[in-house]
Amino acid sequence: MGIFDNVRRINFAMVFKIVGWLLMIEAAFMAVPAIVAVFWQGPDCIEICCCSAFTCLFGYCLNRMIHPQHNTLSKREGFLLTALIWIVFSLFGMLPFLFSTTPLNIVDAFFEAICGFTTTGCSSYPLLDELGPGLTLWRALMQWIGGMGIILFTLAVVPMLNHAGGMQMFNAEVTGITHEKTKPRISSTAKSLWTVYIVLTILCILLLWAGPMDLFESICHAFGTMSTGGFSTSNDGLAYWSSSYIDIVVTVFMFLGGANFTMIVFAASGQWARAKRNHTLKVYVYIILSSYALITLGLLCQNLVNDWQDATIFPLFQVMAGITSTGYTLSSLPLWSPFCIAILLPLIFMGACAGSTSGGCKIDRIVVLGKYVANSVRTALMPNKVTSVVIDRRVLAPDLVQKSIAFLLLYCIVICGGALLLTPFNIPVSDSLFTALSCVSNSGISPSSLGMATDMAALPGAAKLLLGLLMLIGRLEIFTIIILFTPSFWRK
Amino acid sequence: MKIVIAGAGEVGSHLAKLLSNEEQEIIILDDDQDRLNALDAKYNLMTMTGNPATFQTLREASVGICDLFIGVMPSEARNMLACSIAKILGAKRTVARIEGYGFMNPENRPYVMEMGVDRVIYPEYLAAQQIHTALEHTWVRQWFEILNGEIIVVGVRIRDNAKMSGMQLKDFAFAHRNFHVSAIKRGHETLIPRGDDVLMPDDILYITTRRDHANDLLEMTGKVQHRIKRILIMGASKIAIRVADMCKDEYKITVIDKSREVCENLPMRCPYFTDIFCGDARDIDTLKEVGLQNYDAFIALTDSSEANILACLTARDAGVKKVVAEVEDIQFINQAEGLGIGTVINKKLLASSTIFQLLLDSDASTSKCLALTDAEVAELEVKPGSKITHALVKDLKLSRDMTLAGLIRDGQGMLVTGMTQIQAGDHVVVFCLSGSIHKVERLFS
Repeated sequence: MGIFDNVRRINFAMVFKIVGWLLMIEAAFMAVPAIVAVFWQGPDCIEICCCSAFTCLFGYCLNRMIHPQHNTLSKREGFLLTALIWIVFSLFGMLPFLFSTTPLNIVDAFFEAICGFTTTGCSSYPLLDELGPGLTLWRALMQWIGGMGIILFTLAVVPMLNHAGGMQMFNAEVTGITHEKTKPRISSTAKSLWTVYIVLTILCILLLWAGPMDLFESICHAFGTMSTGGFSTSNDGLAYWSSSYIDIVVTVFMFLGGANFTMIVFAASGQWARAKRNHTLKVYVYIILSSYALITLGLLCQNLVNDWQDATIFPLFQVMAGITSTGYTLSSLPLWSPFCIAILLPLIFMGACAGSTSGGCKIDRIVVLGKYVANSVRTALMPNKVTSVVIDRRVLAPDLVQKSIAFLLLYCIVICGGALLLTPFNIPVSDSLFTALSCVSNSGISPSSLGMATDMAALPGAAKLLLGLLMLIGRLEIFTIIILFTPSFWRK
Repeated sequence: MKIVIAGAGEVGSHLAKLLSNEEQEIIILDDDQDRLNALDAKYNLMTMTGNPATFQTLREASVGICDLFIGVMPSEARNMLACSIAKILGAKRTVARIEGYGFMNPENRPYVMEMGVDRVIYPEYLAAQQIHTALEHTWVRQWFEILNGEIIVVGVRIRDNAKMSGMQLKDFAFAHRNFHVSAIKRGHETLIPRGDDVLMPDDILYITTRRDHANDLLEMTGKVQHRIKRILIMGASKIAIRVADMCKDEYKITVIDKSREVCENLPMRCPYFTDIFCGDARDIDTLKEVGLQNYDAFIALTDSSEANILACLTARDAGVKKVVAEVEDIQFINQAEGLGIGTVINKKLLASSTIFQLLLDSDASTSKCLALTDAEVAELEVKPGSKITHALVKDLKLSRDMTLAGLIRDGQGMLVTGMTQIQAGDHVVVFCLSGSIHKVERLFS
């Protein structure tokens, strides 16, 4: 018996025991659409109830039948558990789609689930309007859980994870370069973030409900908007209601979903100054405003502006849907000039603030890159000048700068690599590049909505599995997934 | 509890780790980002960079709503200042680490309180106290007295010659009702024993007993009490000076230090050393010159744990009866104990025992606490209506990582058995493994 015994091997037993725990939580979430389906006597009520019960039973057995020798969770288990949980959640999350009265095949169902959890929001369903309320709600709920983070939710409610191993999982799941905490203990940090998330969602539901949507539709859309997921209840998306009120509300809440939640917590707890001096938040706003201005200018030149909405709400809505990776699209998008579309691309690539529900590589890293490049230029002219990357009056340690830049490079490589692997499916190069970008950034905009030939939902099964992997890599910010593929991770 | 720790040095980091494992809310402040990063990555706590002795940093750390503020920076003055500011901002209790007896002196207490410092930690003083006890009771590793020795907790390593070695605990308890084996340290692990555990040679047993039975233990464990007259201390550190100050009337104390300058100035700092030598105590020739074999006790107090351990081993081989080593690296404590060094001094453990007292009892003046490497012994006063008074001890369904060893009722000490009913006003001695303090807290509140 030594103190090093527990570090040598990966503690699989403990990992699976916790997976069991989390599956029971998923079952509890799945019970919500089940209850709704039963209440409305929707078409799939029995199926969803069975799926929920099965998930719960499976999780319970896993949790009860495994007896780990010790309950330490080191860094490795943290990474493994985080990656595993997203896959396992998607696997069980797809069950309702598999067994419903309008069944999807297994690849499509998995694709649908992973699109939901990673908040990519690209649907395989050809006819959304015919879907029962249970399934529709489950699709929306998946995004909502995935938006803030599965692990983050469990950290808030499962006391078992409230120790050093939980810290590791928090760091592996929450996006961004560094992870600012709002409270000393990880569980209270998680609780405060979820509280803000829930409050904002309820606000969004109420505001949408006040418009032309009914309660059920507003709940589904609020879930999709706050989590910057982008599932809709209708194939036409928001255009179905063609209401500028809804567009405005959705735009505002997409903006909030893309902001750093830690800053919203600070602002909500009265520390306005702290949120106001956050540099990334300012850059976020500047980028939105300048892209909006450029696109409106482009549309004016193109003579596409027919009424006031075309120049005000629509471009802003599209900019927001792009930068926050929500992936709602306007029906007029294919008509836009290449210039306007080109402005959307970097927005999709970039995503919004770290610590938000949005995807992309996060503005924080772009800011670091920008400052680093500026510093390099300055030192090239004056070699003795000492420069460091200063953000919010704090010096970012050089290793974090390196890590951010390495991340950006890796991000590009993953997109290009993904695109390369898509081309064997006879997808044109530009389409496959855009598809890969759209998946890695969790935006979920199909190339067809930009006027290209490829429809993401109609791709063959193997391609969809690849896209699913890309989404997962994007959501967990590459390192968490990539590290599992390194031999040193598994070596004893 | 919300706890703010200022200073991520050795003691600060140790406290932060310990308390974060005890499920407390910890914010740790330091002006050195690198030190904090290491803590932040591994432990469930919040770190904040900035000078802890300023209003700005303390406000940012929302010291105003914290239950306990601990100042453990290297400088005494900054600790006092930080505590003072924290108190003004609204911290409920403040603790500062100090470096001299002045702030601890009861005469100066009102002034220190007025500055906003509720309590002081003086690790060197605590260490000297521990050494003093160790010299009085040479046969034990730990000697912990509660309420003027009404109840005594003894930590002792048993060998093959001990009568109790090889016995099952339930047989031992049946034969000797005056002793309560509360914890066993075996190898790297401390465990709370059950009836079917066997007492094995080389175990360190923590036995609780009453004053009048303490001496029976001597015979039972096969130990001999030595009388100490002459002490050799290696390293003229602050602890050495406190020890000399404390034990000046009882023992003849010789000190040996490497630095000539320190040796020459030593009489000014403390006049109680009989002899002062300059040299390396690890060098055999120096030891011969000093006459190591003529001493009854050897105490190694240099900054280097390794040097202290090695010097103690040499001294023991030379026939010195009691050796004491200061071991500041916590992971070395087990090794040192395994090598047969009688008493190990660690300033961090001493400091944390003070903090545990504060955590467990709002009125810390009435309770005592002893921190071991992975367990704590605490004396707690039972408040009326607390959970622990609700049933007989055997029906309380106590968690397996704690045990109730003894209690003091109306000034009379007694041991706790399954049939004991704890009453309000009792002082109970609790053993608990690390990470379970909060469970104890719940039982007693």
